[in-house]
Amino acid sequence: MKTEVLEKAGKKVVLLGNEAIARGAIEAGIGLAAAYPGTPSSEVPIVLSAIAKKCGFYFEYSSNEKVAFETAAGAAWSGVRAITTMKHFGLNVASDSVMPVAYTGVHGGFVLMVADDPEGWSSAQSEQDTRHFSRMARMPTIEPSNPQECLDLTKLAFDISEEFQIPIMLRTTTKVSHSVGTVKLGKTRKPKTKGKFKKDFDRYYNIKPNLQTLHKKIDKKLKDIEKKYSNKLNKFFPGQGTTGIITNGASFEYAGEALQELKIRPPVAKIGMTHPIPKKFIEDFIKNKKTILVLEELEPIIENFVKRIAKEANPKLMVHGKDILSRAGEYNLERIMPALEKVFKKKYKIDFKQHSKKTNDAQKNLPPRKPVFCQGCPHRSTFYAVKKVFGKDAVFAGDIGCYILGIFEPYDMSNFCISMGASIGIGHGITKVSDQEVICFVGDSTFFHAGMPPIANLKFNDGKAPLIVILNNDITAMTGHQPNPGSGVTGMGEKVAPVVIEDVAKALGAEVKSAVSFNQKQLVENLKQLKDKKGPRVLVSNGACRLLTKRQNRKKGIEFIKFKIDQNKCKKCGTCTNLYACPAIFELREKKNQEPTYWIDPDMCWGCSVCSQVCPYGAIHPISPKTRSKKKGNNTKK
Amino acid sequence: MKFDLMLTGVGGEGVLTSGVIIARAANLEGYYVRGVQLHGLAQRGGTIPTFVRFGDEKELSSPGIMQANADLVMAFEPMEAVRAVFYARKDKTNFIINDHPHMPIYANLLDVPYPKMKLISGKIKPFAKGIQVFGAHELAKKEFNDTIFGNLILIGAAVGSNLLPLKEKNLKEAIKATVPVETEKNLRAFDLGIRLGKKR
Repeated sequence: MKTEVLEKAGKKVVLLGNEAIARGAIEAGIGLAAAYPGTPSSEVPIVLSAIAKKCGFYFEYSSNEKVAFETAAGAAWSGVRAITTMKHFGLNVASDSVMPVAYTGVHGGFVLMVADDPEGWSSAQSEQDTRHFSRMARMPTIEPSNPQECLDLTKLAFDISEEFQIPIMLRTTTKVSHSVGTVKLGKTRKPKTKGKFKKDFDRYYNIKPNLQTLHKKIDKKLKDIEKKYSNKLNKFFPGQGTTGIITNGASFEYAGEALQELKIRPPVAKIGMTHPIPKKFIEDFIKNKKTILVLEELEPIIENFVKRIAKEANPKLMVHGKDILSRAGEYNLERIMPALEKVFKKKYKIDFKQHSKKTNDAQKNLPPRKPVFCQGCPHRSTFYAVKKVFGKDAVFAGDIGCYILGIFEPYDMSNFCISMGASIGIGHGITKVSDQEVICFVGDSTFFHAGMPPIANLKFNDGKAPLIVILNNDITAMTGHQPNPGSGVTGMGEKVAPVVIEDVAKALGAEVKSAVSFNQKQLVENLKQLKDKKGPRVLVSNGACRLLTKRQNRKKGIEFIKFKIDQNKCKKCGTCTNLYACPAIFELREKKNQEPTYWIDPDMCWGCSVCSQVCPYGAIHPISPKTRSKKKGNNTKK
Repeated sequence: MKFDLMLTGVGGEGVLTSGVIIARAANLEGYYVRGVQLHGLAQRGGTIPTFVRFGDEKELSSPGIMQANADLVMAFEPMEAVRAVFYARKDKTNFIINDHPHMPIYANLLDVPYPKMKLISGKIKPFAKGIQVFGAHELAKKEFNDTIFGNLILIGAAVGSNLLPLKEKNLKEAIKATVPVETEKNLRAFDLGIRLGKKR
């Protein structure tokens, strides 16, 4: 976490969009924040968790987004300002509670921050556009474009929320959340952390006829918000000509700079509130125009709205958008440039197509650099053992977490990956209709998030059932090492008794075994025992995230015990590089057809010892203690 | 004025931190700063291009650099410099490269050999105004017995060779603020880099 988030008011600092949102929440005086991490939203809770104690508000990592949303809603109902943050798929999980809370409204300001991920930088599910949810939930939605706006609009969102007693959605995309920019800080406000829930039947029971009354109230709130905040949230930049641009979010940042590069200055309308879309503001903007180009990533939500109101306000208006730009993927300068060239009939000085052709040629035949499990990763060891026992023909049901990297060579052990916990439900469906063996891989955080109901379902409904391998690395690793109910520490940094996965799985009716991830023999033996049985079976593979251990060791000045290949014993079978595939082990050849030598890079080895266990010739050993530093490393213990 | 810097390398090796240091230094210098780190699933062991842009607020707003428009590419790994040519062009872009290869396991698994430094330079040449190669990794290993300091050596070399237009003083302040552990070593690595760069 960057210390700048807590700098004094008036200071200019460089912040990530997400860090600026966290600062905005502090400036708004939040009393409670709850989140489940999901990139590209993860840095907001990372910052809030780090400063909660110092600033005097409460923060928690909840077990999933629905619980996080409900926690924040409970606080806001009781009059305390609250924020919850999640990625777009997290909103899908939370949505069951989001819809009715939009009806009941809130007392304390309540901001639901949701980060979409066009291009799928950190998401393997869909390119969902959350603005559809704003309409479904009828929730006012504000969209910042850069870190300064992330701060300012978060703060404003709390004010609007409290004024109109309605939750506000703050929607970002990857390039808003994950870009840095200069931010001028404002004053922080002392958090109000105590409130009181006031009973109010008409408000908190969404049953008819209350339901219809509440629904009508939303209509009025949305109209009033549009009227009062349209000019504050939506901005008009005058320019020349009868062709105008309407844009939002990150696209606004690209538009401004691309127009400068093209040396043109058309009028631009920036939509900062995409629900309710400001009708009057857009009417005024399109009235005297001949052509409009709408620049918005993903779905044509603003574009369709512009087309609809143009029918009355300016029927001859030509509206471009998704006819010349893609719905898929994110925008950037070079992707919007051809659309601008077309609409403004001007050529940019560089021919991107030709340049791309040349760069593609230069990059031909380079070895790919796909992401890999870290050296020493407990997941690699578990995957290796599972393959050894079950072969490559079993169906490998994947889930969400670092172990998604099992899709790559040489493991090829994640045949699908749908949503949190889905490996078990889909695996169950497959075993119901097929005789194939199914192995489900679930992480500890994913298990607590959405993995428990499907295991109960197996006991209830599936006598055959897939084998579930729970990869327990004690932490939510992929999103940046956030604690979960199994970690034994809270988002406030306090120690608590961990929820033990083995106990939960047993209580849900599964036969449970556990093994140390760095112990191949133990893994293989337990897997073999479970293989011959039927019914819900769980292997918990326990091994702390090696990257986290590495960082903790660095702080303590501890070095790992490194491993080395004995060249006299090595038979050059390639098990360590081609089957186990640790990125710290290299196959070296001076010339193409020369016999290779195998070598462990001591700078990269994190001492997990598993290579020495998988080597069929016993050729890999720890480097003798004499040549190591004095401090002992903690090696294969959990 | 706007300056477009691209940093690239392998995830987990300090490229992101280097970007943070430079962004902070640019802020101390009074520039408006924008930038973005392209990370996510590809963080561990994957390619991670990072952009840092600074200059006049009126001239820059996009977080990323436009294709063919980088002023400087700093590659902390040689092959990644070739992957950066998308953002480079002959009349504008300088390259600073750390010559130590980080072999991807896929070179081996998919039998695509890792290119030699000479071939790498040849591939970059049509997109480069100039290419400066430094042995930052080896020097870090020799001086500090820890290759992580190679990053600071490379940043120093960029300043020393006048290719990164930021003041030494501000970069040092940014280093202190960003790397609170082993700050002295980091500052020394930065100084070593400056000397290395000045010789060019």
